[in-house]
Amino acid sequence: MKKKVLIIEDEKDLRFFIAKALKEEGIEVIEAFDGEEGIEKAKKEKPDLILLDLLLPGISGYEVLTRIKKDPELETIPVLILSNLGQREEVEKGLKLGAIDYLIKANFTLKEIVERIKKILTAPNKY
Amino acid sequence: MFEKIFDNLKDGLIVFDKENKVSLINKSAKEILGVKEKILGKSIEEFSNFPKIQNLFFLLGKEIKEVFRKEIELGEGLVFEVTSIPIFEEGKKIASVVVLHDITREKTIERLKSEFVSVSAHQLRTPLASIKWSLETLLKGGKLNEYQQTIVKKAFSSAERMLTIVNDLLNVVKIEEGRYVCRKTPINFEDLVKSKIKFFEEKIKEKQIQFEFRVLPKKLPKVKVDPEKIGLVIENLLDNAIRYNLIGGTITISLDLKDNEIEFSIKDSGIGIPENEKSNIFQKFFRASNAIKKEPEGSGLGLFVAKNIVEAHGGKIWFESEEGKGTTFYFTIPIK
Repeated sequence: MKKKVLIIEDEKDLRFFIAKALKEEGIEVIEAFDGEEGIEKAKKEKPDLILLDLLLPGISGYEVLTRIKKDPELETIPVLILSNLGQREEVEKGLKLGAIDYLIKANFTLKEIVERIKKILTAPNKY
Repeated sequence: MFEKIFDNLKDGLIVFDKENKVSLINKSAKEILGVKEKILGKSIEEFSNFPKIQNLFFLLGKEIKEVFRKEIELGEGLVFEVTSIPIFEEGKKIASVVVLHDITREKTIERLKSEFVSVSAHQLRTPLASIKWSLETLLKGGKLNEYQQTIVKKAFSSAERMLTIVNDLLNVVKIEEGRYVCRKTPINFEDLVKSKIKFFEEKIKEKQIQFEFRVLPKKLPKVKVDPEKIGLVIENLLDNAIRYNLIGGTITISLDLKDNEIEFSIKDSGIGIPENEKSNIFQKFFRASNAIKKEPEGSGLGLFVAKNIVEAHGGKIWFESEEGKGTTFYFTIPIK
């Protein structure tokens, strides 16, 4: 079955590139512009993974993550943070709230990000 | 007249006699420390229940140590630079002069500057990610001819360089703000070095560098370091050794155990550091003239960051170099 990834990211260009790279790997992509839309789409679509930015218009990525992890329907979906914030405190906060991993956007190539996502999708528990 | 000048100086001044008791104190110093006349003839230890004096006492000690421009907080948000100069007569200390200089305004400006750099660096990351990924997508598309590919690859590596600079700037800000905290865990130092060497494998090959990694036959004890930070030190040194080396040059990394510390050294056969620029090499934004000539791009932050990290671990960093022959950088990490 085709795997489904939800991208919550406000930067249109960044969303475009990640979505394109994932689609090329045969992954279905759903896009959300902000946190509210992200949570709504997560509930509706039940993705296999959520790619989450932290600085979003409206509610922050941390808040989105907290709500996802509190929701019995969504809590098992792995959340991968993809942000430009890279201070250790921010990374630790994200992981403590239950994110599976934390990547700093600009430090990674699309290829590396896609590989990381594929790895989580094949074995989310072992990751 | 002298007394009036002394009293009206903006800096706080305190003179201690040979028994380390306060013999003179000007108006500013009294205001800064929140004390009155009765401190005269007494030692500051007797006043150490005054919160502000406590900080000063902590710095100067009973014996009024010599201090040069140390920053301390005297009161909420007020930062002072303290200098303590001993005065000698025939080899005996007869007095100490302590100067309290208000640098609160400078500190505020410094903080604002750090914030500015931090915010701009973060802001730069998003468009940089976009540029990198655009170029990567173009390259992956496979529709470019060889010439176009070369050009896009150049743009991609420029974007990467820029990103390194942005990350360096963020590190510098963290160092300046004193937020560059080290989280130490015991690690196998040799493994850390190996992983960093692996990271640069391709670049070493590209430049046809003869590379050697020398370790002691016996196992090194574990050291408590922040692996991410010390990793960055090794990366910066290795990156320099490759970047400022000649094609077909040599690099040797050695690990050594010397009374309770591990010594890391990296020797290259590169362009070396000009004699008259050696003293500036660890300053932030400084780049040696021959380095700029060889590699116009570079932030001049790598060694500054490295020095701060090594010193935060209680170690030392230094180098030996001869222009045109090569450079060896050393740093040590205490074991306990």
